[in-house]
Order: sequence, then C-alpha cells, then structure tokens
Amino acid sequence: MTAFVIRRLIGMVLVLFAITVLTFLIFFATPGVDPARQFAGRNPDPTTVAAVRHQFGLDRPLPVRYALMMKRLFISRDLVSYGNQALEVVPAIKAATPVTLSLVTGAAVLWIVFSILTGVLAVVFKGTLVDPLLMILALIGISMPVFWLGEVANLITLDRWHDTFLFSWVPPNGYVPLTQNPWQWFLHLIIPWITLSVLYIGFYARVLRADLLEVQSEDFVRTARAKGLSPERVMVRHMLRNSMITFVSLFGLDFGVLVGGGALLTEVVFGLPGVGKLTYDSLQTLDLPVIMATVIYGAFFITIMSAVVDVVYARLDPRIRPT
Amino acid sequence: MKRLVLFPAAVLVLVALAAGCGGKKKSASQPTGNKGGTLITLANAAPSGSPDPQVNYTLQEWQFLIITHDGLVGFAHAGGKQGTKLVPDLATSIPAPTNGGKTWKFTLRPGIKFSTGQTLTGNDVKATFERLFKIGDSPNAGTWYNAIEGGDACVKTPKTCDLSKGIVVNGNTVTFHLARPDAEFLDQLALPFAFILPASTPAKNLNIPPPGTGPYKWVEYAPTKEMKLVRNPYFKQWSAEAQPAGNPDVILQKFGLSVESEVTQVENGQADFLANSDQIPADRLNELSTKHANQVHIQTLTATYYFALNTRIPPFNNLKARQAVNFATDRNALVKIYGGPKLNTPTCQVLPPQFPGYVPYCPYTKNPGSGKWTAPDLAKAKQLVSESGTKGDTIKVNTDTTPADKALGEYFIPLLNSLGWKAKPQFLSNSIQYPFIQNSKNKVEFAFSDWFQDYPAASDFLNILLGCSSFHPNSDSSPNIAAFCNKSIQAQMNQASTTGVTDPTAANNIWAQVDHAVTDQAPWVAMFNPKQLNLVSARLKNYTWSPQWYLLLDQASVK
Amino acid sequence: MAEFAFGPDEDVVLAPGEATEQIAGKSPWRLAGRRLLRDRVALGALGLFVLIVVLCFSAPIYAHHVAHTVVFGSNLNGTTRVNGKTVEVIQQGGGKLGIGENPIGPTWQTNYFIGSDAQGRDVMARVLYGGRASLAIGVGSAAICCLFATALALMAGFFRGVTDSVFSRVMDLIWAFPVYLLAISLSTVLLSQTKPIVNPASLWIPTLVIAVVYIPYVYRPVRGQVLSTREKEYVEAAVSQGASNLRLMFNEITPNILSTVIVLFPLMIATTILTESALSFLGIGVQSPHASWGTIIQDGQDLLYTRPWVAIAPGIMIVLTVLSLNVLGDGVRDALDPRAKVRETKE
Repeated sequence: MTAFVIRRLIGMVLVLFAITVLTFLIFFATPGVDPARQFAGRNPDPTTVAAVRHQFGLDRPLPVRYALMMKRLFISRDLVSYGNQALEVVPAIKAATPVTLSLVTGAAVLWIVFSILTGVLAVVFKGTLVDPLLMILALIGISMPVFWLGEVANLITLDRWHDTFLFSWVPPNGYVPLTQNPWQWFLHLIIPWITLSVLYIGFYARVLRADLLEVQSEDFVRTARAKGLSPERVMVRHMLRNSMITFVSLFGLDFGVLVGGGALLTEVVFGLPGVGKLTYDSLQTLDLPVIMATVIYGAFFITIMSAVVDVVYARLDPRIRPT
Repeated sequence: MKRLVLFPAAVLVLVALAAGCGGKKKSASQPTGNKGGTLITLANAAPSGSPDPQVNYTLQEWQFLIITHDGLVGFAHAGGKQGTKLVPDLATSIPAPTNGGKTWKFTLRPGIKFSTGQTLTGNDVKATFERLFKIGDSPNAGTWYNAIEGGDACVKTPKTCDLSKGIVVNGNTVTFHLARPDAEFLDQLALPFAFILPASTPAKNLNIPPPGTGPYKWVEYAPTKEMKLVRNPYFKQWSAEAQPAGNPDVILQKFGLSVESEVTQVENGQADFLANSDQIPADRLNELSTKHANQVHIQTLTATYYFALNTRIPPFNNLKARQAVNFATDRNALVKIYGGPKLNTPTCQVLPPQFPGYVPYCPYTKNPGSGKWTAPDLAKAKQLVSESGTKGDTIKVNTDTTPADKALGEYFIPLLNSLGWKAKPQFLSNSIQYPFIQNSKNKVEFAFSDWFQDYPAASDFLNILLGCSSFHPNSDSSPNIAAFCNKSIQAQMNQASTTGVTDPTAANNIWAQVDHAVTDQAPWVAMFNPKQLNLVSARLKNYTWSPQWYLLLDQASVK
Repeated sequence: MAEFAFGPDEDVVLAPGEATEQIAGKSPWRLAGRRLLRDRVALGALGLFVLIVVLCFSAPIYAHHVAHTVVFGSNLNGTTRVNGKTVEVIQQGGGKLGIGENPIGPTWQTNYFIGSDAQGRDVMARVLYGGRASLAIGVGSAAICCLFATALALMAGFFRGVTDSVFSRVMDLIWAFPVYLLAISLSTVLLSQTKPIVNPASLWIPTLVIAVVYIPYVYRPVRGQVLSTREKEYVEAAVSQGASNLRLMFNEITPNILSTVIVLFPLMIATTILTESALSFLGIGVQSPHASWGTIIQDGQDLLYTRPWVAIAPGIMIVLTVLSLNVLGDGVRDALDPRAKVRETKE
C-alpha cells in the first residue's frame, strides 16, 4: 500500500512538471504577446522597449526563462504579473482561494444533500410517477450550460423580479468575505451556490440511483429485509453505504476540479473574484505568470484528488487491485 | 493617448455643459462642498501597467495622482474652460522662456511639505527628472523629456543619468536648460510623469506611488482589491486654483466587480462613482435615462475613433481606394453601434471639435461643403474603387475583442466586400491588439484604434499619429499606424511646430490646414467623436468635470 | 447459438417485459435494437434531436423565405414592418437623456420573431444558423474524440507494456490539465496567432480542441473494457487457434468494447455541445463570421436586461438538444445493458 502511495505521488509530481512545461510552451508559441511591450506602457520609444526587455530577462533563451519563472513562483515567491507590476501572483492566488472555496464548498454541501435525497426518493418511489419525474429534472439539470443558468438567474433575481418579495434580498453580484460580514457573505453566495449545484445534483442523483438499484438486488439486502429491518434502516445502513463508493470517488474528482478553478464560468457570471475568475482574466490579457500559476494550482488539485480518490477507493474496495 | 481597454486619457473641453445635470451650468468653480466622508469609486480592474507615477499612463491612476502630487505647473483643478489653463503649482509663477525658448527659470514656493513631513527643495526637482530616465521604462522619457540638456545622454546610459547641466538648482530657483526649444514643454511638465517626488525615492519601479506634496497620500494599492487615499496631514493649501484642499477625508477605488454590478451599486447609492475606464453596458442606458437621469452627466471629449488604413500595402496604398472607403462609410450606423447620436458625433477629420486647430471639414459625404457629415455616397465610392483597380485585394479588418469594437469591424466587413474587396476579420484580445497593429510586419490593412488627447495641442494628434518620425518600421511601438508620411504635409507640420513657440494662434491656423490636407489624403476612416457618460450617486454634490482630468475626485462632496 | 453454455455466473439480465424465450437465439445487437425500439422515451428523444438538427440545417430556408433577412451582415439602419407600421430595427433610446440604441424586441411574427440583436439581425434566424455550427462541432468533435480514444485504448489495452504506459501517461497529462483551462489555453493561442498557420475563423479549431480535451474521458473506460475483454476465455481460444494480433483486435475485442463506445457517443456529443457553448461564450470558441449558440448567448449578455430573448433562446436550444441526447444515451445504455453477461461466440 505504501509503495502504491509513493508511486502515485511521484507520478503526480512528474505530471505537474510536464504540465508546467506544456503551459509555458503553449503560451510561448503565441507571437504578438510581448510582455516587454506591455511593461513598457503606452507608446514607449523603441529604446525603452529594448531596455525593459533586457531588464526582465525576456531576451534570454527559452529554458532559462522557464527556470527563472519556476524559481520565482516556487522559491522566491515574488513572481509578478505582466499586467500590473504591483500584482504579486502567489498572494493573488492566496487571496482568491477563500472565494473559490466558499463557492465550491457551499455548492458541494447543497449538491450532496439534494442528490442523495433525490436519488433515494427516486429509488423508494420507483414504479410511481415520482421516479421518472425526478430523473427528468435531474436530466434537465445536467443539460443546462452553467453560465447560461447563471445569466438567467441574474436576470430574474436582479432585474425582472428583484422588486418582489421573492428576490428583493438578493444583493448585487460580488463577494463579501466571511470574516467581514457573515450574513452578507451568505446572501451573496446563495444564488451562485444554487446555480453551480444544479448540474451536480442532477448528475449525482442519477449515479446514486443507478448504484442503489444495483445494490437493491444484491443478496445481503434481501437478507436484511427478510430479517425484518425497516426499509429506512435498510436503505441508510446497508444500501447507501455500499452505493457510496462510486459517489465518493466521483465527488472527490469533481471537488478537486472545482477547487482548482473549474468553477470559472460561475465565478465570471457572478463576479466572484476567485481562482477561476483570476484564471479567466489572465487568459484574456495573456498574462503568462498568472496563467502559469493558476494552471499549476488547478492541476495540483486535480492530481492530488485523483490520487486520494484512488487510495480511498482501494481501501474501500479490496477487490480493486491498484494498477 | 490611446484609450486602452477603456482607459480614457485626458480631454479638453472649452465648455463643460453637462446635459442632464438638472440644467445647471458648471462654470469655473472654486471649491465648494462639505468636507468629510469617504468617496467610494468603483472600477472593474486596477490601472494596468506599473503603479509607478513616472511610468503609469492611465487616466484611472492619473485622477488619483493629481491630488497626491504636484508639478512645477499644472492644469487648473477646475471645470469648464478654466480647467484647460496652465497655472503655476509648485512654482510661484509661470516664467516666460528666454534664450529662444530654451531656458526656463522657476522659483519654488517655500514651505511645501511632502506627506512625510520633509520640505520640498530644488534637489527633489532635479532628482525627479533624473529618475525619469534612471528607471528605464518611463514611456515618454525619450520622446518628451529628452529635450532637457543631458537628456539624450540619459536615454543612452540611464543608470548614471546626470542632469546637472540641464537642471540648475540655486537655492529656491530651478532653471531648466533645453537642448532645443519645445512649444509644449509646460504641458509636459504638467503631466504626472513630471510630478515632483522626494529625492530619496529609489530608482526602480515602485508598487505604490511614493510620498507627494498633494492634499492626499497613498495608503493602499492592492490590484485585486482597492486603492486608497487619505488626507496628507502636512498639506496646506497654497493655491486654490492649482491644488485646492479636498472635500472627502478618504478616497477609495474598489476593484473586481463586474460593470453591471457597479452600475447597480452607484444607482443604489452604495458607491459614488463609476470609473471612467469602465464602459456602461448598453442594456442599462435605458434605465439610466428614465429612472436615474439626475445621476447622469454627459461630457464632450476630445477624442477620435478611427480605422487606420495602411498606406504602404495594397489596396490602401492607392489614394482612390482610401477615399472610396471614406465615402462608403455610413457614420450614422457606427454611431448607433456605440450608443447613439446623444453619445457620439460623426466626423471625417483627425482633430476633434473644440480643439486648438479644429475647423470643421468633411469632404466624404453626399453634398460636401458644410463641414458636417450627412450621408454616405455609395455610388461615388464604387466608382472610385473601379478607378483604383484594386478590386479583389484582401483586407484584414482588425479590432480588439470588446463587443462594441468588434461590432464596428463586423459592420465594415460586408461593406468592404460589397465594394469589391475580400475582407476578413482579425479580432485580437485588447492587450495584444494595440501593439500588434502598430507593427508594420503584421501587414494589417484596416485597423481599429482611437486617440484621446494627452494635452490640448494639435500636434498631439497630427504629429504623433500621422507624422513621418512617428512611424517605426517593424516595431511594436509605432503610433503612426497608417504608416503615413507625406513630405509636404510634414513640412507644414514642422512649420506649425516652430511657429507655435512664438505665435500659438498662427500655429493653430497652420494646424487646421494640416488637418484638412491630411483628411484629403485619407490615411484614416475617421468615424466619430465620443462623449463620456458619467454615473454618480445621488448624494454626490459639487460634481466638477475638468476637461483635462475628467471628474475631479477631491472636489466631490459626499457629506 | 448456445449463449448459456458457460457456467452459472453468466446470468442474462432481462429487460422489463422480456421473456427468456423471446431472446433466445438472437444476437446481442439485435436484442439491443429491439429494446431500443420498444423504449418510447428514448425514441422520443431521438426524434427531438433529429427535429432540432433538421430545423437548424434548414436555417437558410427560414432566413430567406420566412424571415426575409440577411443574417451575417449588419442591419443597423434597417427597418421592418410590424403590425402594418414600418419601424426602425434599432431605435434610439428614450427617457430624459435619449441615450443608447435599442434593438426591437420579439414581434412574434415571421420577421424578427424573437427580436433583433445589437447589430439589427434577426435573432431567430441566427439561432438556427448557430445551431448548425454548434451541432456540427458537437457531433464532429465527439466522433473524432471517440474514434481516436478507442483506437488508442485498443492499442494500449491490447499491447500493454510500453505502449500502454506511454499512452496512459499522456492521457494522465491531458486529464490532469484542468479541462477548461486546456481548452481555453489552446483556443486562445490558436486564435491569437498573428501569422496564422490555421485560419482562426475555421470551425476546425474548436472542433479539434474540444475533441483532444475529452479523449481521456473515453480512453479510460474503453481501455478498462479492452483489458477485461482480453482476459476472457474466448479470446484465449482464438489465440490458441492461431489468430493474428490484428484479427484478435478487430474480431474479438472491438465488438465487445463497441457497446461501451456506443453508449458514450451520445453522451459525449452532449458534453461537447456544452463545452463549445462555454468556449464561445468566453469568446474563444466559434469566431466571426460564424455564429453558434454560445456566441449568441454572448451577444445577449449586453442586452440581458432589455432584450433577454437574445440570450434565452439559444440557451433553450442547448438545453433541449443536450437533454434529448442524454435521454437517448440512457436509452441506448439500457438497451445494450453492458452488465448483461451475454456471451458472443464465434459463428
């Protein structure tokens, strides 16, 4: 087991390294992006541009620039954005992380609760109208583009029905830190939470339902029922626990992706200054240091959650051999 | 100055009549309003580029710098025509130059202190200008300030810059010796690049502007959060015209909200002002016009939006082809894209209205002669195209990806196709587009750009954008995007510049002729002159619009 | 043939309403086809999808003969007739200040059915044209993705060893790169080319970018299937009969993994359509002069509070299309039921 874990970790580091190289190359291949030009400000004379280029080491060969950037990102941690020199990349990501975490954790709580509820209800009421109805709702949920849903949510809560009692409490888009004002923090995040979780509720409800149905026909469930246990107890203690393996492993991956900046569209539509929005803004301006940092950050979370999930899965299900 | 990613620059207006301000006429205002409170402004993003005051070229930061720092002279902090005048600031008076315009002797006011408590001396002045060169990346060091003796040498070897010959300090007197006369020297002293910093300021880019002599001082510059000014405890007002004491106690600019949310917050009174760098979305204009008309001020700007025609490559190296596009363009349609006739005025020429050297002129319309554009002349355009023999040539229509700018490009593509060319889109992200279109090796035939004045001088438009020496081949920094160079027109420009040293009025007449001659050569399709829409909160009083610096933040009263 | 000839753990899972006698003797494919045809809901979804495709591909007919409009030009100064009156398509704003220009809203008639966008173009016609691009990219990239992923997975799972290691590491790399980031990065770079190697307006760019990004999603399950199929007795039997590698791959393994791929295909189309709309919304998917549902939603962003239909209509189209594909995918999976341990023997 330990060997497995160590191998996974080494693999992870290699993958991250490869990603940084890949990112660096992708963006180097964009001609027309001359950070020296951006640094030099508006209408500099050509001598100034050349001086700036030299000052920032932008006339050095490619591998040197890569090494310099990695050093400034990880070791000296003073990597600076190409767009605004006062913006230090690592603190910017640190500042953006709580926003993303707030968004993603809240949405995760919502989707876990509601997907379990929906999945269980669908199974309990299988054969009646409730099951297909819930499943259609779930399907609709996963069929909606999240950014569109967010726009429509904004339209309804901030404009069309804003003056009614339903939505008059909805504050304008933006983020208020938890430490500053917990109530406002909460209010600002409710609609984004709901928007982001809709997709996942649909998906996880279906996954759970499929797994519950599969488990339902297993021998041990029949035994439990035969022993006279109540349906609720059977559901919770026997069926759910066994069906959660897929649920948990998928959740781990999705959560990792979201924390790593995958909620980018939601953050952009709702104006939340999280890691996703930082990524998006940096891509718009081709701000390579910030892009590099956010990509590494995102990839890190994905790979680590992937590894964690593999380990957890292996522990939960001894039948699975680690490959 | 180029309005980059919606960062407009300074503007000149002779009359600042704010339509929709309840009809009040803003005359040259002495500071009024109540002191105290916090002025909250909102901007989508922090000013781009370095925060260093000698490098930053955004109006967004300049609006703050003018109240934290001072130059030897400055534009009056007033509205209306008064706001376009240069008044003495740190100097006691504006000197008349001697020695054929090459020597300027200033006397510093005594007793002015920086926000650290230390007193301003002549050494600070000299050190400030040396630092301009030493930091290496000040945009105009090599184009404006190298007129100071020793400046050219400083451009070559910045680290050891020594301006002892060019700036002579003698007690309270600072004398500038220029290597050549410069009619715009005073204007250039009045811009933040030349605002005086303490001599001890390190010669490298700073992450927050250093202490200054103005009524406010910088306490925070966090590009992902906000920038903040508080009162400078050592400030004592010495000239109400040049640098009045401010009204709010704290001036704040918060970053990160979407522009839609910013509009909502200012409408609701949760913030006082939407930074001029953010463009108000088209779908909120209706609401502003009906429910919040009292909070909206519309101001004329001296700026021109245009498409540059590359005069060196086909098809637009052919004069008839260039004129054809000008005749075919329906400037009303373009005005519609940008918000309608209340916010934009069609134009055919380079200089904007109410600008030195501006005389209305439009040859590219049906029934020309009035100087105003009325309607496109498609028939004439088609005729010119066939005469030019350029049919079938390909044209890359280049704009940035801002929706409104893209829409301008999307208007032109079918138009150019209908005239017989093959037009293709080339939409680049904002941060790339401007340097890209300047570089001649990219061979862009038809490129979108705009220009806002740096200071009120015709050469700021004509020479910088269409002068022969502003074209640098294969360089990302070549503001003459059209690559236009006409010997006789250039001779006229030079004549205007030299005349301007002694006789500005005569010079402006020559500039007017230059403007018309250039327009005839059609290196551009000039489209329209925009107006600025300002949204302020209901509680904001004493709204003062300076043609040079836009909204004077410290004059606004929020108590 | 004798499906049940091998051991008691080879239960057949019957679909509801089927009797063992009915399925005896039929190949799994025919069984699947029968089940699918019986599944009304899935058929309905297929019908809806086909309807949407037909509608979108008849966009030119709609534009010319119904709405009488030009979709890709600009119509800023155009006029149209509504209820007998001629109105400007883009009207100057009202209120005290008269600022802004408003496109007309839904007329609910043949011209400008759901109104105009900021350039004066008929939104309904654009939505149909946009559907062409979105569907073409969606189906195209899903097809390319499934094809490549299957081929790679087949090789990796069959040959194992170095091939498997290399391919799987590359897949891990793509997988670890945050999906949207990878798609956005590639698109940004390809679109920012200042000396275009590929025409930035080509629809192939989003198609290929999206296809590449999702290859690991198809690769992993297919490879797993290849690995497990490989171990099956009938494959061993074929090997012992002297079958070549190629024959093994195509005759024995491919048919078994085909069901996995077939189930994945409609689901991948759904995913690629959503991804394309996201990329276009961010401005780095489909480029001018083309339109797609995502670009129209982006057009609608600036008009959201005054002309919401511009943003809502393409979104509804996306939801309907993706929903129908998801339901269809469910139906196909139920019909094929990969958990059914129905053995396919060599004839």
